[in-house]
Amino acid sequence: MSAGMEATVFLAALAFVWPFIGALVVAALPAPHSREVAIWMAAIGCGLAVVVFMFPSVGNGASGWDDDPVQRAGRVMLAFGLLLLVLENGIQPDRLLRSLPHVCTALAGLACVAPQPAVGLGILELALAWGVFVFTRPAGQAKTGWGLIRTGSVGTVLVLSGLLLPQGSTVSGLMMACGLVILTGLAPFGQFWRDENDSFLFLPFAGASILLAMRLRGHGGAAFEMALVAAGLISVWLTAAAGRAGDRQRLFRTFPSALALMAVGVEADVAALLFLCGWCLAGGNRSGRGWAINVLACFPPGAPFVGCLLLLSVMTDWAWPVAVLTVCGILAAVLRAVPDREAARLFWPDDMAGRVACSVLTVMGFLVPLAMMLGAF
Amino acid sequence: MTLVAILVPMVALCVVARGVGFLLPAGVVTALAMLVDGLAPVQEVGAMLALLFAALPPFFLTRYQHDATHERTGAAVPFFALALMVLLLLACNHAGSTVFPAGLCTMVAGLVAVVCRQSMVWQWAGLLTCIEGVLLSAVLGHQPVVLGVAALAGAVVLLLGGMCIHRIMPRVVPVRAAGQRGRRTEQPGGGAGA
Repeated sequence: MSAGMEATVFLAALAFVWPFIGALVVAALPAPHSREVAIWMAAIGCGLAVVVFMFPSVGNGASGWDDDPVQRAGRVMLAFGLLLLVLENGIQPDRLLRSLPHVCTALAGLACVAPQPAVGLGILELALAWGVFVFTRPAGQAKTGWGLIRTGSVGTVLVLSGLLLPQGSTVSGLMMACGLVILTGLAPFGQFWRDENDSFLFLPFAGASILLAMRLRGHGGAAFEMALVAAGLISVWLTAAAGRAGDRQRLFRTFPSALALMAVGVEADVAALLFLCGWCLAGGNRSGRGWAINVLACFPPGAPFVGCLLLLSVMTDWAWPVAVLTVCGILAAVLRAVPDREAARLFWPDDMAGRVACSVLTVMGFLVPLAMMLGAF
Repeated sequence: MTLVAILVPMVALCVVARGVGFLLPAGVVTALAMLVDGLAPVQEVGAMLALLFAALPPFFLTRYQHDATHERTGAAVPFFALALMVLLLLACNHAGSTVFPAGLCTMVAGLVAVVCRQSMVWQWAGLLTCIEGVLLSAVLGHQPVVLGVAALAGAVVLLLGGMCIHRIMPRVVPVRAAGQRGRRTEQPGGGAGA
């Protein structure tokens, strides 16, 4: 084993452990300094994830670590999501609460790299338990916490029982797809979003679920893919067809994850990756901001726009009626659900978090297709 | 396929119909169904976990008043669960599997209890029934990894559900010396919202 290989394995291990270190440091420091330190820790985590993506640890010494490049790139997106979560939130007085995004991102990254998808599900369940424990500690939140635990556990149980059935059978595929849709929190099916702090837990959680869905595709078979595409299509069309404006905007929050699940269903992993980027950087409860609306609505330039093009190009080969339905659904949803046209016209945002998000999304939108053409994916 | 394995979904249906009182019988029957096959370590661990997840909640709930949430759901819910079980059986037969999917039927019954019942204790019992079903089918399918993950999920549901119940439901005896019953370890940080 050469020195270079040892270095890559060390870096890969460090990239997994780093958010835990960040959580410890952030929780240990007094509140006034914690935000700058948290930003630094998250930024170094992003750098580590990028380095791990560029120099993968392959070889016999690293079996169990190496996985396909899409998963590694997905962990880069999760790391940038953590950076943005830290950037756009103020100073949190509660120690556990301000270390929660670091812990959840670390557990989500570990879940994606677990040797078996079932183990990844267990790690996600742990992240859910810890997150719900942390942000339902204040008085009067017990019912909310129980609702979150119930929904998440139902999703986990469904995917587990799908994994227990024989590979490729219809029931197994349907069960796993239902479970994943619940875990992802796709708008009409899983109702995860209530409080502001929820996004600390559920942005990395849903991202890791999308990444796990790619790995579960081998077990689910055709029924799994069809069910994922159907669920995404229903979500997109419900967003377009919801009667009240409030409903539309609530559904619109999970627009990128719906498209990502459809992309997983039609085996367009790179498109799913681009939507995941949009989800991590603009999803959740950011839909009140202009730049986030721009990203969510797949306006160019940006990763979701490129993802849309990739998804449609793959989908026309898969089934062209579904592709037509998807195009119509996306257009109708964008036309009807974009809440504030004036805010959406603004491209370069004023705040720091928005600028970071916009530049990362634009760079990803250019780099990922380039990398795909060069054969990295 | 044994008689006990057929009994498990029936007792799970009783959980859907009557509530948490049938959770302990469901756990006992699940453990028996695991142990009938043989006495390998996986089966013993699975049976122990099934008994644990089924025995702790009723014991824990004796400390709290009866859950007086008014159920608006009708008498049709167990039949809905039964219909889902029959659908699952038909789908498994169609796929060519000859084994009776006892664990999955139990899981479906638990899911119906979670989705259709409003009282929190009932939902808790339903979720634990789901976990029992996954444990059973993992043991019967000889998949120790899934067994471990299901045990983890069961522990999470048990602890956090117990914590939420501790914060919401009124106690039978308001003041009691801590540590006498040995169940205080279940609710770390509890009592803040009660």
